[in-house]
Amino acid sequence: MRRLGLLLRFPGAFLAPAILVLASIVLFPTGYLLYLSVRHWVITRPFQYFSGLDNYRLVLTSPSFWGAAQTTLVFIVATVAVTLVLGTALAVALNRPFAGRGVVRALVVLPLLVPPIVAGFTWRFLLNREIGMLGSWILPAVGVEASMLAHPDLAMVSIVIADVWSRTSFMFLILLAALQGIPGSLYEAARIDGASDAQEFVFITLPLLLPAMLVGVIFRAIEAVNTFDLIFVMTQGGPGTATQTLSIYGWRTAFTSFDIGRGAAIAVVMVVFAVLATTVLSRRVLER
Amino acid sequence: MNRTARTLLALTIAALVALGSAQTEINVISFAQGFAFPDLLSEGGTKKSERLLAFEAANGIVVNLEWGDESAVRQKVLNDLIAGTGRYDVILLGTDGAVQTFGYAGYLEPLNAYLESGDYDAWFDLEDIYPSVLEANTVEGNVYGMSYYAFGPGMIYRKDIFDRYGASVPTTMVEFEQAMATIKAGLAADGIRDVYPLTMRAGPGEEPSLDLTGFVYAYAGYPAWFEGGADTVEKIRATKAQPDFTGAFRDGFEAFVRLAREYGPPGIATHTWVDMMNLYSQGKAVVLFPSAINGYAAITSTELQEVVDGSAFAAAPVGPSGEAIQSFWSFSFGINAASRNKDDAMKVLALLTGREALQAFADMTVWPSAPYSSVMRSTTLIERYGEEEVLLNERAMLDSDTHYFPYIPELADFMFQIGTAASQAVSTGDVDRALEELQRWAVQTMTAAGYYRD
Repeated sequence: MRRLGLLLRFPGAFLAPAILVLASIVLFPTGYLLYLSVRHWVITRPFQYFSGLDNYRLVLTSPSFWGAAQTTLVFIVATVAVTLVLGTALAVALNRPFAGRGVVRALVVLPLLVPPIVAGFTWRFLLNREIGMLGSWILPAVGVEASMLAHPDLAMVSIVIADVWSRTSFMFLILLAALQGIPGSLYEAARIDGASDAQEFVFITLPLLLPAMLVGVIFRAIEAVNTFDLIFVMTQGGPGTATQTLSIYGWRTAFTSFDIGRGAAIAVVMVVFAVLATTVLSRRVLER
Repeated sequence: MNRTARTLLALTIAALVALGSAQTEINVISFAQGFAFPDLLSEGGTKKSERLLAFEAANGIVVNLEWGDESAVRQKVLNDLIAGTGRYDVILLGTDGAVQTFGYAGYLEPLNAYLESGDYDAWFDLEDIYPSVLEANTVEGNVYGMSYYAFGPGMIYRKDIFDRYGASVPTTMVEFEQAMATIKAGLAADGIRDVYPLTMRAGPGEEPSLDLTGFVYAYAGYPAWFEGGADTVEKIRATKAQPDFTGAFRDGFEAFVRLAREYGPPGIATHTWVDMMNLYSQGKAVVLFPSAINGYAAITSTELQEVVDGSAFAAAPVGPSGEAIQSFWSFSFGINAASRNKDDAMKVLALLTGREALQAFADMTVWPSAPYSSVMRSTTLIERYGEEEVLLNERAMLDSDTHYFPYIPELADFMFQIGTAASQAVSTGDVDRALEELQRWAVQTMTAAGYYRD
């Protein structure tokens, strides 16, 4: 009883086990990553040593890094924007009652259950210019003769399409939940005042949906930064480096250039970028 | 339970534990599940055969074989090597970078002492193994890998389509381009749009480099990566040879890109060996070049009889230098230097890559890709392809210059960057830009590696 009393005087002590577990699974790998990022460790060379910020200097002055950063930005903006628009449209459409709504909702959510690596393989085969149903039959029939995956610009379009297909349902679920939280009385009042459907959407739905949209955008953006498997199986970052995002570039640096230190530095820079972007967006949500 | 019974029980348990621990576990990692080692594992690579079980019993070894996708296996091997855990005793190696990079870095156990001891003469007949195969697995005199299968360059082509359009089998690259033009024109005249004159691999990553650098060798007459053709660490250091990717390297690179763009399928800038094989097996490609082994994989897996009946093999054409186009690779296994049971690992390596295992593989696949002359000339392959074609394949193996690219510690990284540059150039058509970027990267990499310090 005395021990319990002691613990009750320091309630924070109850958190100790959770903090310890978190420290071991989050803090240790993060700390090790930081440690690696300040080491010169190229496995084809015999010595490892402390190199200060040298890896960061090399990363931040490398044209390849900034090329990958630009590709990542294009991918994030495109995939987040399209999933946001489609997710909102689907959520609004499927929030209204109609026969078979449950089935349609289930179908919309289905892609979320498909692992990105499987989605990537599926789209790779679909878009294949020589044997794919879309790539070799349907697209040429509508005048798209180029290979979607082998063209430097269309390859980016291809991975965005695959990612949007895979992840729109996530945005849809967040927005549908938010829509169901909007009181019906607001719409009734608007209708009595003679508001049109478009006006209801612009003046009621959209403002009340905005916080949920920002949350969805944050989650999707973080997910897009870290997307690796889908891009890897579809294009391996190619053709050339046309779809080489930072996650693919970091992997290549560590696993094909065998530069473990620089690979770790790239990962740290990615984390810093992601945290900064998330913080800015989160503050906007909180301010509202 | 009385005291005697308890003592007996304890002794029995101790004996069982001792018996269990007397067996050494050797962990092997490989790809090609259900395909490699048909004599050792059945049912999709999961059930041990009588031969493997007998080997385990005779040697007190338990062989654990872990399978995976090729790129996943390569990463697992790398992780294990750099962590130094010795989790895998026998590891998959390719001769397009892994043997050289890991060998130089000291991650692999040299096999010379084992091979020279005479203990493995029953498994490996070094006189029977093609010299090129051993050379490809050797770095600075150390043999690091034993080959499971290997291939030299060549051309698998549709003889029926060549005959239909009056194209001749080329012996030079000039003739090769003429044949491609003839076939392209013939296909177009017949309104055939889904059959391509040529399939090669030009996807990003290390894969195209194996073939592309073979073009560079045939066009320049030497491995034209560094000034003066320096192809070893010592030569590069001694002459301070700078990368030469915008110089002598260019002609072969440009020819590869031009052929891929002009005669290859639209998606070629993303294609790997799997795509080459699939296109040829589906009858959608007339020539598969220069890694002919992928053509044999297509011929032996296709369901189209016209592909089986209409296909033939020809030696790789020669480039302007008089040297033939190269493409050589060995699927090899080596021993992890961090393995705690190297002697037992060597026994397992012998089981996996000894002559008997390779004959079983040849009997199952019917591929003329055996590292052993006696297996290459075995009844299975002669009956399937005829003596002339088998000997042509043997000649491709014997004539291969496995040093058609430099042997340097950074090889794996270079292969990756060169392949990615090829993919970029094939996709955009801008050879100069791809090579300038490659040159810049190469200078930076070699400088950082200390090659030009006094």
